[in-house]
Amino acid sequence: MKKKLATMLILALTGTMVLGACGSKEDDGKTSDGKVKVRFASWDEAEDVDAQQATVDKFNAEHDDIEVTLEAYGGEFDTKISAGMGSNDMPDVMYMWNYPAYAQGLEPLDSYIEKEGEDYKKNFYDTLWNYNSYDGSTYGIPIGFTTHALFYNKDIFKEAGVAEPTNDWTWDDVKAAAKTITEKCDGKKGFSFQMKPDPYDYEMYLWSNGTAYVNDAGELEGNLNSDKAKEVFKMFQEMEKDEYAVATEKSGTDEFRSGNTAMYVYGSWSINTLKEDGVNFGVVNIPSFGTQPSVSILSSSGISMSKDSKNKEAAWEFIKFWTSEEMNKERIGMELPVLYSVVESEGIMDQPEYAPFYTMLEQSSDYTPASFIYESWSELSESLSLSFERVFNPSAMEDPAEVLDEAVQQ
Amino acid sequence: MKMSKVSKVIIYILLGLMALYFLSPFIYMLFTAFKTEAEAIAYPPKLFPAKWLWQNFKEAWNAQPFGTFLWNSILVTVGTTVGQVISCSLVAYGFARFNFKGKNILFMILLSTMMIPWDVTMIPQYMEFKMFGWINTLKPLIIPAWFGSAYYIFLMRQFLMGVPRDFEEAARIDGANAFQIYWKIFMPILKPSLILVGVLNMISVWNDYLGPLIFLQDRSKYTLALGLAAFKGVHETQIIPMLCITIIMIIPPIIIFIIAQKYIVEGTSGSIK
Amino acid sequence: MKQKKVLKRATPYLFILPWIIGFLVFTIGPLIFSLVMSFFNWPLAADPEFVGFGNYMEMFTSDKQFFKSLTISLKYAAIFVPLNMIIALFLAMLITQPVRGVKVFRTIFYIPTVISGVAVSILWGWILNGDYGVLNYLLSLIGIKGPKWLVDPAWAILAVIIASAFGVGSMMLIFYTDIKNIPIDVYEAASIDGANPARQFFSITLPIITPTILFNLITSIISSFQQVTLVMLLTGGGPLKSTYFYGLYTYNNAFKHHKLGYASANAWVMFVIILCLTALVFKSSSAWVFYETEAGGAQKKVKKGGKR
Repeated sequence: MKKKLATMLILALTGTMVLGACGSKEDDGKTSDGKVKVRFASWDEAEDVDAQQATVDKFNAEHDDIEVTLEAYGGEFDTKISAGMGSNDMPDVMYMWNYPAYAQGLEPLDSYIEKEGEDYKKNFYDTLWNYNSYDGSTYGIPIGFTTHALFYNKDIFKEAGVAEPTNDWTWDDVKAAAKTITEKCDGKKGFSFQMKPDPYDYEMYLWSNGTAYVNDAGELEGNLNSDKAKEVFKMFQEMEKDEYAVATEKSGTDEFRSGNTAMYVYGSWSINTLKEDGVNFGVVNIPSFGTQPSVSILSSSGISMSKDSKNKEAAWEFIKFWTSEEMNKERIGMELPVLYSVVESEGIMDQPEYAPFYTMLEQSSDYTPASFIYESWSELSESLSLSFERVFNPSAMEDPAEVLDEAVQQ
Repeated sequence: MKMSKVSKVIIYILLGLMALYFLSPFIYMLFTAFKTEAEAIAYPPKLFPAKWLWQNFKEAWNAQPFGTFLWNSILVTVGTTVGQVISCSLVAYGFARFNFKGKNILFMILLSTMMIPWDVTMIPQYMEFKMFGWINTLKPLIIPAWFGSAYYIFLMRQFLMGVPRDFEEAARIDGANAFQIYWKIFMPILKPSLILVGVLNMISVWNDYLGPLIFLQDRSKYTLALGLAAFKGVHETQIIPMLCITIIMIIPPIIIFIIAQKYIVEGTSGSIK
Repeated sequence: MKQKKVLKRATPYLFILPWIIGFLVFTIGPLIFSLVMSFFNWPLAADPEFVGFGNYMEMFTSDKQFFKSLTISLKYAAIFVPLNMIIALFLAMLITQPVRGVKVFRTIFYIPTVISGVAVSILWGWILNGDYGVLNYLLSLIGIKGPKWLVDPAWAILAVIIASAFGVGSMMLIFYTDIKNIPIDVYEAASIDGANPARQFFSITLPIITPTILFNLITSIISSFQQVTLVMLLTGGGPLKSTYFYGLYTYNNAFKHHKLGYASANAWVMFVIILCLTALVFKSSSAWVFYETEAGGAQKKVKKGGKR
């Protein structure tokens, strides 16, 4: 008996010792042939990964002493990065968009940027720097962005005999057009919006109407539930109630692609798909509320460095490469270029499907999203999501005024 | 057992209805894989594609290094299945046919390991595997299977407990030791459940994508399931390639299932005598 | 002599040794770590901060979602577990019937479980789409206006159940293996004694497969609480949080809100709940589970000559 007990104890101890071997094995960050290892994580989808790998290979070929490995996380990017950060095993370089959540694990890049000189920084659209910084420091170099714009289906407009939208349209214009289209075209809806929009994106409507989720001090009261905010929610809800707009379960792209809706607001992500599908579409600025030019939310992706990277210099070399003009040009189609020089050389502003996005970029320059101001944004975001549902879900359709007041209380 | 005509008809009707429920999503998926992406999301939905685009499958396969993924999947699946079958049968036998001190407590501990939600032990496990240097290898996916998994141990233990005592008694009288009894008597009896566990494990590992997602980093180590999940991007999902690969991935497990069915059914009539 | 005795005593331990080693090396470390984490505020990249029972207190007193999610998971378990088991058993019995072509049906019922979980969720998401999905389209053909499955809070949980029942094949297979291995002589003897099929099912089949029923019951309960992937991809926890299962709640706390300590506490509470439920089931099992090794005699008589 004693013997058995002893055996068990020894086994338990061994097991714990294996784990307790606390000091994490020092990984010197070098490959077997002495090159410096840099891990690069991206969120691009399957079909783009091959192209990315080719680019990474190019970098490796040009740099004898650095070897970059590409880690394509796809849709699970957040999970992987969280797991990596939580266990102190971050990639050296990674795409980044959610700075408030991850800034603690990122390396501030201001000093690196300065070393590159004025021109480097200036070539990027100014507004983008705000979106890639947090708490005063820059944590990411912009590599792409999108604003939102109004997409419309030219064929449906023709069918209904309605004049196409212009950059000066207001929401009243949209409503009128949508009504006519729904009446005249069987089975089609004039406008669609998301039933559960990303709270981050939705704030742009509040901005367009002169309000926001929070003020500079981060207070919800008087902002999220201001009359202007309630107006915005009410407008969309009425569109749905009057049945000339549909609240879509997903982004609305599928409904637009298949020709079931005539208009929707979205980022530039769907442009390639729409072109492939052969949809005859046009793009204009987001409609205004009549009081001020409309504003769009900016979704900017940047490329960041891990605070704990062992090869920061090499990582920076790679970051520079990935944010160069050449790379920016290659990514057109996946994202909108962020460099003035590239936009000019490629004549982006002359392309009618891209120009409105840049106009919106100019119009949206002084706004800071609540996610950068409000402390526990992820919880607020979840609560806002629920509020959206309560207002836009056909089974709920609650009074926006009440819902917003409640949301502020929480 | 002779069956009346009426019962037969009833049974066929029931089978048919259930088959409808199970098959229709699958058939819908099968047909949609041949469509263009526009057709796939069209409304009203049409069952048949305008043209049968066989090249969808080729394109999907070439979209990512699925050949490599296939190899990795095979390695992991075979590696874990062999490991599970061996280790789980040993452990289940220990729990089912012996009485020893602490048996019940240990068994409760075993069961409770099934109840731990994975996403929370994931990060500590990740750290542990990092310490071992196993991250970005297939090791974290294969090696733990050689130490048994509560689910299969439990399953086999239940089967084992249903075998009458006389079997062991006879063998013991003949002077066999425990291991011989395990090997010569119980293993044959257990064959159907060994195969069952093999099939169940094979299929769940083949489709597992959480494990590979967390522990693997570069594409050369990915398994099929992870490659499949990669078609789901942050904004849009590439439906057609996803369906094509899903269908391709179903083929090996189905084949194995059909083959294994025979053995699961073999029954114990022979060995009892 | 003594050596032999020690070996004999040690034998069972030797058999279960693989699991013990695996447990010590792979399981217990992370387990204890996660328990420790639950007593801290553990943000992603900054330093953890000890809060003692703070996380637990917060769950029970100020976090309303905790109770809501728990209730949803309990509701789901209460409906889904028995439903799933009955369907599995029903199907297993169906495919043991000696009718022609039953093998084909066996495979058909099993195919869904072989489809990758990710694909299944996306597939059902499509089919169940309120405005443009196939199910509602089919219903409309026979004149029924289908509910917006994934949008209407009243129906969403049913949608999740429909989608998860899709995977019943596994359980069916386990039942089937057990049933198929009951020696045919038992049934024949009963037939001779005049028992009809229904009687045979209740008096022979059911008692013999009770160990498997126990297994499926317990594993079903456990997996219904841990349900994350399907619901995350199908409904995201909505609409209006009506399908915000406890597993998803924990996952979001960890990976969306980056509150690892809090999520660990969530997980441990779930663990305790499942443990209690399982213990209850086990306790009750002595009343209704029938292991042959214990009963011993009854089977023997039937086999010995097939006659009474």
